[in-house]
Amino acid sequence: MIQDFLIKLKKREEFDQNLDISPYAKMMGFRLMREGGELTTVMKFNADLVGSPFPPALHGGTIASLLEMAALMQLIWTIDLAENSTPFPKTIDVTIDYLRSGKPVDTYARAKVFRRGRRFATLHSEAWQIDQKKPIAAAMLHFQMID
Amino acid sequence: MFLIPHARRLGLRLLGKEGDNLMIEMPFNPELEVTAGSGIIANGAITAFLDTALGAAAYDQFETYKKIVTLDLRVDYFEKPEAFSSVIVKTRCLKITEQAVFVQGDAFSKDAITPIAHAVAVFSYEAMTTSVDDTLKSLDGISSGDAG
Repeated sequence: MIQDFLIKLKKREEFDQNLDISPYAKMMGFRLMREGGELTTVMKFNADLVGSPFPPALHGGTIASLLEMAALMQLIWTIDLAENSTPFPKTIDVTIDYLRSGKPVDTYARAKVFRRGRRFATLHSEAWQIDQKKPIAAAMLHFQMID
Repeated sequence: MFLIPHARRLGLRLLGKEGDNLMIEMPFNPELEVTAGSGIIANGAITAFLDTALGAAAYDQFETYKKIVTLDLRVDYFEKPEAFSSVIVKTRCLKITEQAVFVQGDAFSKDAITPIAHAVAVFSYEAMTTSVDDTLKSLDGISSGDAG
């Protein structure tokens, strides 16, 4: 399903698309963007993402969720989507470092595949808001590539 | 029950305490599904739930209102949750120091014995101004999870 969604986008150099691949992604307001060859997952701000009202800050869990979605998107994007036999990657673990408070604005995340082996893949994912050089959170993730 | 907007969005319900453990439930809701109609709650929702639940356990350690900020969170996913089942997190505080609160927790599908995920987190905490303290404590607010 996610594969089908990405196959259509793969031919396009640039896009900015609602990530309505799952009810949860829709609820979170995730978008998928591509420009300059880079894949970015976006979490549009809305009031339901707030974790602390005084002063308003994003809920840490929403940032964790964005980092994980960005990693999953990057991983599936990297896999040769024509290989239909490839099972869907399963998250094994995620370790998140919270670096700065998440402001009530749009948040972006980009992930890098550190290593993709036959059984496992290791990714690093980083989230930022206004300034990409000042990440608000980063995560290391492991995915299982076979059942 | 939870004042945190995102905790409300996830539909979290505080079940109470069992000894040192805080028990919190995330009822099944089709909006949380990873695939429409599958009945399986997305990983991201479980991660966000664990972040909130462990933050609540950290918050629960203090008499006065404290702003609880997640420093790091590690989640191990053992297996998928049961289809159409709510998820329950059982969490407890391991240690409080002058700067940090160490917390761990397990997520279960309802009625299950073995956990579907395990989490550990470290939170920092800071006092709030008196007026906000009083306001929030009177509302029985629970704060967690905002990156700081």
